[in-house]
Order: sequence, then C-alpha cells, then structure tokens
Amino acid sequence: MKITLPDGKIAEIAAHEVRIEEILRILNINPVEVIVAKNGRIAPEDETVGSADELKIVRVVHGG
Amino acid sequence: MAWKNALSIETAITCQRMMSMLNDAERNRYGRQIRLFGEEGQEKLKRTSVFIAGAGGLGSIVSIYMAAAGFGRICIADCDSVELSNLNRQVLHRTKDLGRYKADSALDTLRGINPEISVENIVETINEETIDQLLQGCDLIMDAMDNFPTRYLLNRVALSRKIPLFHGAISGLQGQATTIIPGKTACLRCIFPRAPPDAAFPALGSTCGVIGSIQVTEAVKYTLGLGELLQNRLLLWDGLNACLDEVACLPNPSCPDCAEQAGKMINGQ
Repeated sequence: MKITLPDGKIAEIAAHEVRIEEILRILNINPVEVIVAKNGRIAPEDETVGSADELKIVRVVHGG
Repeated sequence: MAWKNALSIETAITCQRMMSMLNDAERNRYGRQIRLFGEEGQEKLKRTSVFIAGAGGLGSIVSIYMAAAGFGRICIADCDSVELSNLNRQVLHRTKDLGRYKADSALDTLRGINPEISVENIVETINEETIDQLLQGCDLIMDAMDNFPTRYLLNRVALSRKIPLFHGAISGLQGQATTIIPGKTACLRCIFPRAPPDAAFPALGSTCGVIGSIQVTEAVKYTLGLGELLQNRLLLWDGLNACLDEVACLPNPSCPDCAEQAGKMINGQ
C-alpha cells in the first residue's frame, strides 16, 4: 500500500484490510491533526484499506 | 388594494435596480473585469453583501480583493488590536495602526481602496450570542478565522441560513480551501470532523495571498454563476514545493451538523 505522508514523502506498508486509524497508529501520526484520503477521497478513520489502495495523509491547517 | 401592493413591490424592485446600476466612475473602475462578465455581472457584485470573519492574514487579502472587485456591502468583524507581529502578513494594517482595533484599521484601508462600496467595521467577538446580529443581511460568509471552533459556528449558521461559506486556512507555506454550499456539498464538519490542536502557527503573508485569493475567486464565481467551484473538493496548497493538489469530499450521513441534508444529497434528493 502506497501512502503519501504529510511532508510529501512516500511510505510503503504491507497491509491487508486494515483500518485507517491503525495505519495512523503504525506511522505514529496523531489522528486529530490529519485527514486521510483513500484513492483521492476523504475517508473516515474506521474505513478499511487494502494493498491496492493509495492513501494520502493531509495535515489540517487552522491558521488565518 | 392588490394593484397598490403590486405597484409598491415594483417600485421597490425598480429602486433596488437603480441603486445597483453602475455610474460612470464605477464603469471606469471595474472596466477591466467588466470585460469578463459584463455590467450585469458587476451589478450582481454590487448587490451582494458579504460577511468576512476576521481581519487578520486571510481577512486582509479577502477584504481587499472583495472591496476592489466591488462587492457592494462588506461587513468585517474582528475583536483584536493590531500588533507588530501581525504586520508580516496582515496587509490591511500599517505600522501607524499599531494598537488600533483591526476592524477600524480595516475600515480606513477598504474605504481608501474603494469608496463606492459600503464597509461596516465590527469590533466584536464572533460567538453564539453575536453571530445572528453580525450576519444580518449577508449573502456570503468568508472564513478568515484562525481557529476551528469559530469555523464550526460559521458552518452551522451557513447551514441554517442556507448561505455559502468560503473556507480557507493556512500554516506556514501550506494552505487549504473549499466552498461549502448548504444542501449541495459536504459541510465543514463533514470534511473536518474534529478540530486540530489549537497551537500557534507559523505564517507567511504570501500563503495568505494564495488562499485568500482563491476564496475571493470562488465567491465571485458563485455570485456570477461562473466556472466550476470547489464543491466537494478540498484544495491543498504546498508552497514549499509549489504544488496544488485536491482531494474529494463527500457529505457524511452521520455528520452532527448536517446529517439530514447529507442524507438527502446521498439519496439524490
């Protein structure tokens, strides 16, 4: 599974039918700070992902 | 009596049309953009009232460009005073404005940019108690806030009033923007279910420029019915690598703020 991290780097994880929240835990990313897109669409943390999926982890900004 | 009532309504409509018609100075001032969307489009902008939540980094860009574009009534609210550390990005304010309320400084700047429009400066905290009064008569909400709790409030009010919310946020060289149209798109809570930690954020003026300009462009397009909006699209700006990306958003049928509307959208109603 290809994962684009908030800094733009690419990580590869061998995983099958794992929840997004578990991916974040493995990557040591605070789920409150990010949203995750699965195959280009924002997905909830309890959604499962498989080896053929692509994830993009986006750090949410709040300033103005 | 019916014909008298009809005459009154027609008179009111005629008066409103006359007030929104352009004078010669306005035709000159907006000439370059009238080439894009005609005098009819410019008159639509003139008839539009906007509420700008915040007169900081994003609020500076949003308000300056909306004033320059000729939105007829701008209400800008901010409870803070100008500080030296604001001046790397908050181009509404000058060094001479240090210590002044940002809303007052904004009034002077925006009137100087465009005396043809109406500007209302509001020194007030945006909260549950004040929001209804602040939004009186406004057609659009421009999100120029620096925290998500207030953004969520703007989101709820936009949903209840069925008016669009143009979201923007920045940190350092990163930014995001999307357009929330109640009943048509995911709401802000659908996209961002939880507020990120409210930590102090780095800020570069040009990032505010990118995102604020996108928000204004969206507002112009929405008002005039032009092009494609950032509907159910979250635009992501990475200034460090000069990249624009986007991710798709969907209404959340379990959203605490818009669940009923989300359900209808998903079911195609």
